[in-house]
Amino acid sequence: MIHLTALALYGVAFALWLRSFLSGSAVPAAALAGGAAGAGVAFHFVGLASFSVESGTLPLAGLGPSLSSLALLLGGGLVSVALRGEEASRIGLLLTPVILVLQGTAIIVGIFPTSPTGLSGWFVVHVALALLGFQGLAIAAAAGALYLLQFQELKGRRFGRIARFVPPLAFLDRLVAVGLAVGASAMTGSLVLGWIWTRGQGGILSLGDPKIVWALLSWGVLWITLSTRFLGAHRGIRSARLSVAGFALVVTVYLALRIASGTAGRFL
Amino acid sequence: MSAAPGRTVEWPAPPETGGDRDEARPARRIEEGLLLVGVSHHTAPLEIRERLALDAAGVEEVLAGLESLPSVAEAVVLSTCNRTEAYVVPAGGRQGGIGDPDPGAVARDAERVLARCAPFPLPSLEPHLFRDRGPGVARHLFQVAAGVDSLVLGEAEIQGQVREALERATRNGIRRSMAGPVAHRLFEMALRVGGRVRSETGLGRGSGSVASVAVDLARRVFGPLRGRRVLVVGAGAHSELLVRALVREGVRGGIVVNRNLERATPLAALLGGIAVPLEDIAHALRDVDIVLCSTASRTPLLTHATFRDAFPRGGPRRPLLLIDLAVPRDVDPSIGDLPDVFLYNVDDLQSILDEHRARREEELPAAHRLVEDQLGEFLRWWSARSSASRIRLMRAAADRSREEELERVLRRLPGLTGRDREEIEAFSRRLANKILHGPTRLLREQAGDREGTGGEEGGGPWE
Repeated sequence: MIHLTALALYGVAFALWLRSFLSGSAVPAAALAGGAAGAGVAFHFVGLASFSVESGTLPLAGLGPSLSSLALLLGGGLVSVALRGEEASRIGLLLTPVILVLQGTAIIVGIFPTSPTGLSGWFVVHVALALLGFQGLAIAAAAGALYLLQFQELKGRRFGRIARFVPPLAFLDRLVAVGLAVGASAMTGSLVLGWIWTRGQGGILSLGDPKIVWALLSWGVLWITLSTRFLGAHRGIRSARLSVAGFALVVTVYLALRIASGTAGRFL
Repeated sequence: MSAAPGRTVEWPAPPETGGDRDEARPARRIEEGLLLVGVSHHTAPLEIRERLALDAAGVEEVLAGLESLPSVAEAVVLSTCNRTEAYVVPAGGRQGGIGDPDPGAVARDAERVLARCAPFPLPSLEPHLFRDRGPGVARHLFQVAAGVDSLVLGEAEIQGQVREALERATRNGIRRSMAGPVAHRLFEMALRVGGRVRSETGLGRGSGSVASVAVDLARRVFGPLRGRRVLVVGAGAHSELLVRALVREGVRGGIVVNRNLERATPLAALLGGIAVPLEDIAHALRDVDIVLCSTASRTPLLTHATFRDAFPRGGPRRPLLLIDLAVPRDVDPSIGDLPDVFLYNVDDLQSILDEHRARREEELPAAHRLVEDQLGEFLRWWSARSSASRIRLMRAAADRSREEELERVLRRLPGLTGRDREEIEAFSRRLANKILHGPTRLLREQAGDREGTGGEEGGGPWE
């Protein structure tokens, strides 16, 4: 029930941002949207905290719990951006649909513990960092998409509803940079920990393992996109494009690997 | 006009300012109690308005002039670049045996004061004056405060000017306060409806001038402008307007480029930057975020060659906003095709302004509804105030009669004890209160019933 409430609140937030965008009148709908998203995060946190208390394990293993945790991280990221002001919060227009898909999928597949024993500390940190990496990429992609939209409007000398709603280019560019930096660092940490943990267990890291492929792809996307901020000209537009494309690639590859893996074995 | 359905506003009794002109002021119609004279951009050309645009000292002179008129009880003077208006409440009540002054005469006196203080010959001023009385005065002020009557629809500056006008009319240590209970209520309601229109409608949204469009564009690209650097090409009036607008937003430091360095220096000082000759324009381009161009050059000053000199590696490496107000253009239009360059010319800015104006005009019906709602509240307040005056007068007259009759009775009954006298006096008071209770309630109900009729004053049982 709590998870459904969180989902509904995220839905309300999205509807308010969408209404604000379509009507061309930012206040007060957009201001309320930030509040709804914050309430959604609060309920979501309580839901996952209850899961942890009841199951004695963190919601980081299994498809449902990990998707829900990623949705919570994204929600938390959105709220921290929204604290910078109502205009900054409008990135929620693109982030809340992602959160809705993640949380909705988690609810459908079920948020229940899959590990009969507790999770090791290594595993917890490894997965948490990986989720943080994906959070960074998602925020960078949402900011990048809005950057591209605003860029086209201003370049085309259109100063209408879209240009007024979307945050300024400089803010979006900074958000892309921060998202990529956090994501790349976290993902690197996750991979390193994963490698250390696997070697410590006597395991083998195989490039045939879908998890490894996807993790390396995600890591590569983050670092390649981040590198465009330091090399060459027009960093803003280039990193925005690559963030959006990279996010789309990561999601597409995830879905493809998931489908290819089928129900046999555990991809994620 | 009609008040909002089902809404009754109870206003507290207006504050009494004291003094001969306020005591025992009889109830009267709003048409006799509220006057307006002035000029605005609707009625007078700029050369007339600029003569009448009063600074603080000028407003003070007009207020002092109005204070010297026995026929004026309250006055507030609103003077901006687009209007100079005097809101006047005529004196009422018996003054040395003279009755209420004729509102028309009061208005003419106020016009003479305005003309004298401008100074401007009254016969030349008269064709440009507009006058109003009664509810129209309140409606006009509410529209002014809401920005509905402004040259730039929805502009916000007028709200502060209305507040300042009220503050100036209060006591200043030399003259008495010219803003009494009526002026205070009127102007406070004007400020309230101005705030509501700006927050509840889109009337105040969007830029109203070329300078504000330029600032908005800069904010869309860079966010807050504090710390951004600007290059100004040309040191004319247009450039100065834009620079002032940007400096208000926190832009500091930059470069002014002009053929004549002497003309560029004051503008550079305003910007907190430096002035350089035109030949250094390419070098100046490198470290700025915003470029403003407004020269009289017949050929473009910023060309691809200039940009190649400024940016050898092919264009700026971060967003650069160029605003070209010159005709013929100072910037080669194809510069706008470079990545990260946002180029706007005078036509682009004008079309943005036109779009903003059209959107604001769509909000006018909603703004007018709010103004009419507020007017309804003001008229209900006026009605209740008039009713309170009538009740006071009625009670005062009844009390005089009671005291006369009590004295007559007590003279005829010389043998009464002190306690008996007190009992009879208390009886007379109770009887008078009971008799007056019905008429008092009727007067109050009449004041409340006027919600559906716009609060227009009408006759009561004692008129």
